[in-house]
Amino acid sequence: MNDDLRQRLGNLGGLGVALLVWTIYAVYFSPTQGWVFFFQLSVNGIILGSVYALIALGYSMVYGILKLLNFAHGDVYMIGAFIGFGVLTLLGGPLNPAIPVALLVLCMFVVAMLGSGFLGLAIERFAYRPLRDAPRIAPLISALGVAFFLENSALLLFGAQFRNYDGFDLISYNGIHLGGDNGVFIQYLGVIVIVGAFLLMLALLALVHWTRLGKAMRAVSFDREAAAMMGIDPDRVIAATFFIGSALAGAAGVMFGLLFSQIYHLMGFLAGLKGFTAAVVGGIGSIPGAMLGGLLVGLIESWARGYLNGNVSDLVVFGILIGVMLVRPSGLLGTPALKKV
Amino acid sequence: MATPLLELKGVSLAFGGLQVISNLDLHVNEHEIVSVIGPNGAGKTTLFNLVTGVYAPEEGDILFEGESIVGLPPNKITRRGIARTFQTLRLFLNMTVKENVMAAEYGHTHAGIVRSVLRTPGMRREEREIARVAEEKLSFFGQRLMGYRWDQPAYSLSYANRRRLEIARAMATNARLLLLDEPAAGMNPVETHEITELIGKLREELGYTIFVIEHDMHLVEGISDRVIALDHGIKIAEGSFDEVATDPSVVEAYLGLRAEKEAS
Amino acid sequence: MSENTPGIPESSTQIGVDQWVERSDENIERRRGLAGRIGHLWELIPPAGKLAFLTPAILVPFLPFVSEGNLFNYGLFILIYALLALGLNVVVGFAGLLDLGYVAFFGFGAYAYAFLSGTHSNKGHTYSHHWDAQWSILVAVVLCAVLGLFLGSSSRRLLGDYLAIVTLFFGQAFVVFTNAADPYGITNGSNGLANVDPLTFFGFKIDTTRGYYWFMLGCVVVVLIVLYCISESRTGRAWKASREDPLAAEMMGMPVNRLKIMAFSLGAAIAGLAGSVFAAAQTGAFPQNFSTQVLILIYAVVILGGTGSLTGMIVGAIVIIASNQVLDSTSPPNVARVLFYLALIAAVYFTMRGSWVRLVAAFAGTVVFGLVVHAIVDAVWSRGTAGQVTSGGFLTGLIRNWVLLPTNPGRLAVYGYLLMIVCIIALVQLKGWWRLVVLVPTLYLTAFVWENLLVQQPAVTRYVLFGALLIAVMTIRPQGLFGTAKVEIG
Repeated sequence: MNDDLRQRLGNLGGLGVALLVWTIYAVYFSPTQGWVFFFQLSVNGIILGSVYALIALGYSMVYGILKLLNFAHGDVYMIGAFIGFGVLTLLGGPLNPAIPVALLVLCMFVVAMLGSGFLGLAIERFAYRPLRDAPRIAPLISALGVAFFLENSALLLFGAQFRNYDGFDLISYNGIHLGGDNGVFIQYLGVIVIVGAFLLMLALLALVHWTRLGKAMRAVSFDREAAAMMGIDPDRVIAATFFIGSALAGAAGVMFGLLFSQIYHLMGFLAGLKGFTAAVVGGIGSIPGAMLGGLLVGLIESWARGYLNGNVSDLVVFGILIGVMLVRPSGLLGTPALKKV
Repeated sequence: MATPLLELKGVSLAFGGLQVISNLDLHVNEHEIVSVIGPNGAGKTTLFNLVTGVYAPEEGDILFEGESIVGLPPNKITRRGIARTFQTLRLFLNMTVKENVMAAEYGHTHAGIVRSVLRTPGMRREEREIARVAEEKLSFFGQRLMGYRWDQPAYSLSYANRRRLEIARAMATNARLLLLDEPAAGMNPVETHEITELIGKLREELGYTIFVIEHDMHLVEGISDRVIALDHGIKIAEGSFDEVATDPSVVEAYLGLRAEKEAS
Repeated sequence: MSENTPGIPESSTQIGVDQWVERSDENIERRRGLAGRIGHLWELIPPAGKLAFLTPAILVPFLPFVSEGNLFNYGLFILIYALLALGLNVVVGFAGLLDLGYVAFFGFGAYAYAFLSGTHSNKGHTYSHHWDAQWSILVAVVLCAVLGLFLGSSSRRLLGDYLAIVTLFFGQAFVVFTNAADPYGITNGSNGLANVDPLTFFGFKIDTTRGYYWFMLGCVVVVLIVLYCISESRTGRAWKASREDPLAAEMMGMPVNRLKIMAFSLGAAIAGLAGSVFAAAQTGAFPQNFSTQVLILIYAVVILGGTGSLTGMIVGAIVIIASNQVLDSTSPPNVARVLFYLALIAAVYFTMRGSWVRLVAAFAGTVVFGLVVHAIVDAVWSRGTAGQVTSGGFLTGLIRNWVLLPTNPGRLAVYGYLLMIVCIIALVQLKGWWRLVVLVPTLYLTAFVWENLLVQQPAVTRYVLFGALLIAVMTIRPQGLFGTAKVEIG
């Protein structure tokens, strides 16, 4: 145990040093200098990172409990965004909103989270459960099929064009300016997203550490058979895990829609990859790791976009992913797994 | 004094905070049959894993035929002449009995992809030889793994036959040292007796050196030239079976200390 | 005991022979009925005989209904995907690795050939090599093999799932790089490389579709023979063993890492070959030819055919690519429509197979249900049935009177689709008469969704189907059509 903790602290320390060095370079020595620029990108990065963190949590939880990479997770996020859009159109658009905007947004979140949660349940029930004891490759291929199915169903039903959350002029993009008019701009929406994501993550941590379900989840992730013999129903625990993870992804989808407005059927693919990157970087199977990883990925993408350019930013993020997988496969806060031969 | 076939010098290994092997010295001479005993968790399978290259020792050295094998990948160690069986059987279940054994001959055969595709005479000759060697190793176990059994998938075999197949597979690697991890686990007395004789025959007729982990004391008594007792990764006794079986520290490790006071 | 154990007749007992083991071959996988018998017979045919079955394929270009376009779209593509599937089979089926970037090797081979045997100018640079095909294909294949070696060596430190992600990334990176406008104009961005030479071997040119078809057929046959030879050799056994239990294989002297990398490399080389011939056949290499859709198609072929089975790759390619082409937006919808209704009928047959009564009830019930609903809606809401049948052809009359065709299907179709999915999920759970009760309206609903939504976007529909196919095959019959059912280490 001591060794693990030491390694994790070491990782965090190394991360801290790297971030410090980068900050100094970015502010004083890079082609675009200045604190304001750096902070603006950092704020944007944290907002984006909160969204990625929510996606990463779903990946981490499912991997922790089933050792399965749920490729379809990104598409659940996409469906969540579309459900939110659906609620928005239904309740907000054509009818001059009879409901206050705040309530509308809350509605969107609730419906999207529930919808995504149930979608996750269905996916687990039909695409993964029959393959619990199959060779590792089988559920991965099934996941591929689910992802493809969801993406093309969305294409079929909603068409290829982008849908816009702000098509009804309901969402305000106001915010505050720190440090004067040329200072750092922080959207109210951004704050809501960060706070919302943070609250959800806290709720999840509380669930995992202080409830019986949480204990059951941890037990099943260590040894499914033994947990079953202790009276825990692994099917129900796994189903609950999927529900929660998918609900979080759905929330992330709505957040993305609120922040960036445009949603389309392939948005889950890239976001899913980045969420996965975040989960791996933070240490797959670890909830604080997913949170940390998400923030990091968001920051890195934002910085890359600002200091390099948009096209390269994705490649930078994936480069980090590959680097971490080769150098520290268990991520920043994960535990290296030991197998008994 | 001839160099021992296998030698461990001061080997230590820890997993996290748990020291699994501590400063272990042991040796196995050629044509010897040495047994390792000890309570569960004593580090016996870890010892096998160290010798076969699954783990690398943190301290100390492991020598085979006088040369260090630390740091070599397991397949190279096997090619040097060490083969093992597994405590929990690890056969290639979906391959046939004969294929299981033939696969293990990879290390000492040479036909590459190009020659296999072209079906050169050399490759065909080698294939025939591979099949012949497999049949020969399987024949060592009597009629049980012969004839129609060759083409049966390995999962159709009974438990005892699976254990025999694993030994045959290890033999096919052309090893000189066989590491048998609990070869009699789960066997009834008749089968255990058969295995005892088998292990003896492996040494007498085929000249193998054998290093055995076993819990069944009848088997250990029946085959061993020497017995080594481990507990918590430390060697606590070594010698003939009688010496070790009556050694007080061995008795303590297995049965615990006698209570100081009887409960009144 | 002998009453309950299958396959052992009471009368014939032999001393010293384990009856269960003797008959284990029969006990595995004996599907009932005709399909099972055929499958069993097929397995008895020696490999050379199976290969001979491909000889009639030589005559395909001479068949009367096979036009030039058809030969290209169906014949040639089936062969290309068969070749790709054979290559992917080496990676997934023989070595057990999930390569999600496989399509990048296909693309790389195509671009390499296009570059070496064509002319193109971009960004002020002109590249004009006109190498003969025997050299450019050779270079393309070797380059792909090297690339496969490189990518495969990353599998050293990565577990199966992580390898999948890394290869996925690699595949995406390929598309990104070829799409990106690079300063030297090598890939020509999203316009791709046109002006590619047809295959020229020592001066002999192949420039007819038939020529490409026969050349591809030859390639497939050669690769089949090569793969068969390898699988029945020590390398093949080692691959099988390292797929079964990598640790045990390593302990038995097999260098598992090296074997995996070899498999990767061989699979990549085969994809490179396919890519080169593909580029020559369509005289160009364009980024959109190597998208994720193509990857899913290749996987669908491999999974349906059955990983590990060479025959399966051929059969799988025929089924998947023919369906893919039938559902293409350039194909007449009526062909797809006929197939769709046939598929519905087949689905009813397979779900209600147990009982004749239920089977008849299902068919009759659906027809009657449809007519009744149609009549009611017609009477109540005329706009519900006044819509058009998309390119109905000879079926228009039938469909118009049976299926609901609202004038503005839009949202109704969407809800219908979602409801259909829920119903199908429910169907899977139910049994007996309940299943029949739900089946009838579900069938009608499916027809509704088809006519109002799916048939109008066949190109997308097929991908939805292929996604569902992957899930269905994995959960119902993971060994596909021709693979062998595997026992897992418990």
